[in-house]
Amino acid sequence: MESADEAADCKQRVHLRPGSLRDAAPATLHLLPCEVLVSRPAPVERFFTPAVRHGADGLQVSFRGRGLRGEEVAVPPGFSGFVMVTEEMGEGLIGKLNFSGDAEDKTEKMQEPLERDFDRFIGATGSFSHFTLWGLETVPGPDAKVHKALGWPSLAAAIHAQVPED
Amino acid sequence: MAAGRDGGDLAPRQLVFLLPEHLKDVSKKTKSGLLFVKLASPRSGEGAFYLFDMCLQQLFEVKVFEEKYHSWFINQSVQSGGLLHFATPMDPLFLLLHYLIKAGKEGKYQPLDQVVVDDMFPDCALLLKFPELEKALRHVTEEKEVNSKKYYKYSSEKTLKWLLKKVSQTVAALKANNVNVGARVQSSAYFSGDQVSKDKEEDYVHYAHGLISDYIPKELSDDLSKSLKLPDPPSSIPNPPSKMPTQRRKRGK
Repeated sequence: MESADEAADCKQRVHLRPGSLRDAAPATLHLLPCEVLVSRPAPVERFFTPAVRHGADGLQVSFRGRGLRGEEVAVPPGFSGFVMVTEEMGEGLIGKLNFSGDAEDKTEKMQEPLERDFDRFIGATGSFSHFTLWGLETVPGPDAKVHKALGWPSLAAAIHAQVPED
Repeated sequence: MAAGRDGGDLAPRQLVFLLPEHLKDVSKKTKSGLLFVKLASPRSGEGAFYLFDMCLQQLFEVKVFEEKYHSWFINQSVQSGGLLHFATPMDPLFLLLHYLIKAGKEGKYQPLDQVVVDDMFPDCALLLKFPELEKALRHVTEEKEVNSKKYYKYSSEKTLKWLLKKVSQTVAALKANNVNVGARVQSSAYFSGDQVSKDKEEDYVHYAHGLISDYIPKELSDDLSKSLKLPDPPSSIPNPPSKMPTQRRKRGK
């Protein structure tokens, strides 16, 4: 999304199709400790998945000849994981045809329609409740930055909770 | 940066997102119940992405976790970057405060729809739609009612009181989540083996102040620091490089 916003102006909205969240098929995710520079289809099921071994102390696999150790990581409680893809411009126009400004809205300040010609759409293509986190040679363990990041929702809840009035 | 790295993509970019579970149940009636919009970040005033649930009128902040040298395998594909996006509930008052403070400099009572106006981020008008808006505004403004229309004026005293409550509820969450808040805790644990000393109250308050400061302008953060009686940060320690550009910009204003 950050790449989309740099090119486009700030008035652009990105609509998340709510139906896609319900219909998203389960997806398998691995977070690798290395940067693969190009995003593209890859035969993960042919090379990576069959090589994963379940040992006494976690998972093992190798990628490009290097030994990796892994652990299953759960999505924080109260949250769901989704893989989302931005739709090509134009695809969302079908939705727009059905939209005509609500009569009730006329009295309110916001008279402009919710969806606009130049808006973009994003939809979920996969869902997950856990993923496999991989470390080089050793299991990432509780000190991994990813684990700290996964603690963010519970802190955010406290920061943004309404405070009692006096 | 993300754009440059993805320049040579052969597949559409896949975003890995963690969303609150209940968003799955957003009403089927609306075609676009969930909306990502760019709004002024309350800390810097620059654009940042937020997610609106138009059905329940809730606001979520979008944060991205990014660590060097990571990539995703997603089903039968590879996605470079290894980014993990979070959408977590956000108190809209932080975003409104940005406009209230700006209007407050004029020292007049004003109707809210004249305060929350932004040429750069016109979607700020969505902030006026929250159901509990009037109740929330009482934390940070003085209000007047004339001909059944409400007029508001920013109150720095009330805002500080509100922020102190925010700090104390954040401190409680830090303790409940066993967040390690002080550098000295780590070193004492390291040297004394099993005897892990308790974090000091001051460290928790300091940490919570830092977290809240991400949502308020620098001046207000300094005032809050004084109210909390936190010691001034030692000036001998240089700022981390990542914070330098912000600091320089602030001084230039």
